[in-house]
Amino acid sequence: MHNRASLGLALAIMALTAYGIFSALAWPLKAKLFPLVISIPLFLLAAAEAAWVIFGKDAPAESVEAEGIPRNIAMRRTWIAVAWALGFFVLIMLVGFLIAVPAMVFLYLRVQSNEGWLFSIVFTAAVWGLFYGLFDLLLHLPFPAGWLLSSLGLG
Amino acid sequence: MLDAFIQGLLLVVQWKAFAFMLLGIGVGFWVGLLPGLGGATTLALMLPFVYNMQPVEAFAFLLGMHSVVATTGDITSVLFGVPGEATTAAIILDGHAMAKKGEAGRALGAALGSSLVGALIGAAALALAIPIVRPLVLTFGSPELFMLAIVGLAFIASLSAEGARGMARGFLAGGLGLFLAMIGQDPQAGIARFTLDSMYLWQGLDIVPVLVGLFAIPEIVELVVRGTSIAGNVAPGSIRHGALEGVKDVFRNFWLTLRCGLIGTFIGITPGLGGSVAQWMAYGHATQSARNSEERKRFGEGDVRGVIGPGAACNSKEGGALIPTIAFGVPGSTSMAILLGGFFLLGLVPGPDMLTTHLTVTFSMVWTIVLANVITVLVCFLLLNRLTSLTAVPGHLLVPVILVLVFIGSYTSNSSYADILVTLIFGAVGYFMVIAKWPRAPLVLGLVLGKIAENYLYISVARYDAAWLKRPVVVALLIVAVAVVLYPAFQAWRGRKKASAHA
Amino acid sequence: MKLTRFFAAALAAIPMAAAAQNFAGKTVTIVVGYKPGGGYDATARLLARHLPKHIPGKPTVIVQNMPGGNSIVAANHVYNVAKPDGLTIATFNRNLPIAQLTKVEGVKFDMTKFAWIGSAANEATILAIRSDLPYKTFADLRKAKEPIVIGSTGPGANTYDFPLLLKDLVGVNFKIVSGYSSSADIMLAVERKEADGRAGSLTSLRTFIDRGLVHPVIRARAMQPGLENLPVDEDLAPNARAKAIMALRSAPEQVARPYVMPPGTPADIVKTMRTAFAKAIDDPALKAEEKKAKMDLDFTDGDKAVAILRDVLNQPKDIVDEFSKYVKFGE
Repeated sequence: MHNRASLGLALAIMALTAYGIFSALAWPLKAKLFPLVISIPLFLLAAAEAAWVIFGKDAPAESVEAEGIPRNIAMRRTWIAVAWALGFFVLIMLVGFLIAVPAMVFLYLRVQSNEGWLFSIVFTAAVWGLFYGLFDLLLHLPFPAGWLLSSLGLG
Repeated sequence: MLDAFIQGLLLVVQWKAFAFMLLGIGVGFWVGLLPGLGGATTLALMLPFVYNMQPVEAFAFLLGMHSVVATTGDITSVLFGVPGEATTAAIILDGHAMAKKGEAGRALGAALGSSLVGALIGAAALALAIPIVRPLVLTFGSPELFMLAIVGLAFIASLSAEGARGMARGFLAGGLGLFLAMIGQDPQAGIARFTLDSMYLWQGLDIVPVLVGLFAIPEIVELVVRGTSIAGNVAPGSIRHGALEGVKDVFRNFWLTLRCGLIGTFIGITPGLGGSVAQWMAYGHATQSARNSEERKRFGEGDVRGVIGPGAACNSKEGGALIPTIAFGVPGSTSMAILLGGFFLLGLVPGPDMLTTHLTVTFSMVWTIVLANVITVLVCFLLLNRLTSLTAVPGHLLVPVILVLVFIGSYTSNSSYADILVTLIFGAVGYFMVIAKWPRAPLVLGLVLGKIAENYLYISVARYDAAWLKRPVVVALLIVAVAVVLYPAFQAWRGRKKASAHA
Repeated sequence: MKLTRFFAAALAAIPMAAAAQNFAGKTVTIVVGYKPGGGYDATARLLARHLPKHIPGKPTVIVQNMPGGNSIVAANHVYNVAKPDGLTIATFNRNLPIAQLTKVEGVKFDMTKFAWIGSAANEATILAIRSDLPYKTFADLRKAKEPIVIGSTGPGANTYDFPLLLKDLVGVNFKIVSGYSSSADIMLAVERKEADGRAGSLTSLRTFIDRGLVHPVIRARAMQPGLENLPVDEDLAPNARAKAIMALRSAPEQVARPYVMPPGTPADIVKTMRTAFAKAIDDPALKAEEKKAKMDLDFTDGDKAVAILRDVLNQPKDIVDEFSKYVKFGE
């Protein structure tokens, strides 16, 4: 697992630096000097790491998580976490922070944590109250209404 | 000068000024604690209220607020693994690791203790440096600043794991950071580099969303996976005690604390490097204090020295950053820039005057920093038990709250959704780096120092052609950089020698 | 604040025209295209404090920051998204007309179509040289044998563009060294004698001039009190084209703190705002604060502002092409 992740990162860096080198060649000298000086060695180093992983004889991969959590459960939970994070992001884009925050908190408490209705509502209200009071009322930070609401004209 | 020293204290302890300082501390407490409220943003927002105050009161408020942000930012970083401030990210590495082992009390004790010591060092530096400030700052020209950036980058070696493979990965992370630093419009030819035709990337990557993503997201994932509270399966009772232990750790490692405090002050004094570098260099330096490979490997898993170093440096740099602001009218950081605005509002002209005619005001600022930090640390100690018990709260209650804080934290830096996307992307990067056992600190270091190194190199060459390489401070710094890079190898060699001597 | 407005709009049914002249109970938002702490932000906040009493109904005026793309993001937002109901005002980078002119990617607005309130200040750009150098006037600079080191932040900023035009069009022996993180850092370099001078707005250089560190030697077209005796760069241009290029660079400086409302805002609202701004800028309370903050506000009416910018945007293609070789859009 360590090695696969390492390989993945190394390959990603190779791709990134290749793009970097390719773009930089078109620029005037002063603009391209540093990017090239950084990208070329970085590309080579990443290639070396990738080669090390593929051809090296390392200790067999250890289990993903310590603390005795079986691998498949760990994987499943990781995906769940990712789903919540991405879902929250999408929710914010669609309906804006002001609705997404309490929605996500409430949903998480009910669906993921299996808390009771009353607790979920109270907790959500507290979080939302603090968030709204501090960031909106006090500091006037702009929180747009989200695409869905805007396109419906409710923004 | 002694006169001004005492007068300065008297100014601060007048009722009105003191009250305003307390108010500032109250505000600053929350600003540091909550990611998303940057010290700089709130300073700017508070500035208008300051209009009707007397100079000393206004500074008591502004500085009181500003001084405590670094301390309470540490709390969020240690407890939740979310950077409370951009400048308190380094402490996550070991501080949060300690919290996960149930040692939150000790970690906080160490963080608070070292913050206080650091702040005192910074304040002392401000006071003592006053006679020599001008020549000191003027010695550091662009060539020296370039070399300093190189020294900073050299710390990548210290932040990497041992062995050739460890170094390679460290430098891969660092190199990636440097590469990412190139994104944006370059100041030599005005070309938009690597911006993918996106307006957002034009001004480069903002460090806050990157930090939040890199460090906080993997922690959130881990919380969900573990399914427990932050402190894991450690009995709740045992978490709280240990704050005193943490403070004792600060004094057990006093020389380290002192050195890191000095590093922070020094970085603060040199304008142009940016404040967030101090914490990483201090962390790197703290890892150098490991006596052998075993100890070295434990950094990142909860070594208290990894808390003390950044804790001290963060606070000491604030005192240091005041120096160029007061003496030259050149702010050492963004928040100083706003403080500078406050100066003008109050009719004070930063410059040589502040060190002569208005020396008392300058000293009152020193005292404000000292008192504000003492008070904050005391208050935090009182709240310590309550704070550490947060690590016993079940994870499934904390995760939604942390998610909200993380998303708000990255959104509010620029009021841009794109920042949240950046956080998510770097969250993925951070997650994979944790799995692949690549150190993340070098990436941050590269990102922060990349542009600075490039700019100062161009300025040095344009201005001095090749002559700048011969300047004494430049040479000295180059030697330091080489030493820093070679130190881990030296440590390993020494460890092996000892092992074979015992064999 | 969108949610409140949604509910308020849903519940109330006040016709737009009646609401227009009375802002009672409403909140006017000034969107600033920069992070807090800079000059545009400080000006906006100063105005926000003094505008309410000059707007009928005394609404609350708040400031929101929307940084990004050197304020192109804010301009795009107010042009395309914000409602033309008089409750949103924008202030942004004075060089946005240049961005539009040089067809910078991502520009989604037309400067002339905004509902212009006006400009809250002129910003004179000057070049200041370190006082302990033997060059006391611009004429001395032209005769200099050694290159004069001018520190700058990067292309697109007036710290770079102004001396660049003087160097390339007038032929002064400047060595422009760029990459400094901020104009304050350049001043430190000047103190260190690493740089010999810098260009910039009078406001940002004022403390250093008062302290005696630098003195101004030449200015661009926009005027501010105290600069009467300085030569103007355009007067030294060797030919009509060079003069046009310099004029193009400095035109936005006369609309240095632009304040606009979304296109389509009713004319009476615009008029109300123009009057409010003019009165606020003349307000003694504001003037007192302004003095302390060392700012210099001066209201230029929207019509005049638009005329200046229309001029900029109507330049013939060959001049624009030539101009683009020197000046890129940046800060």
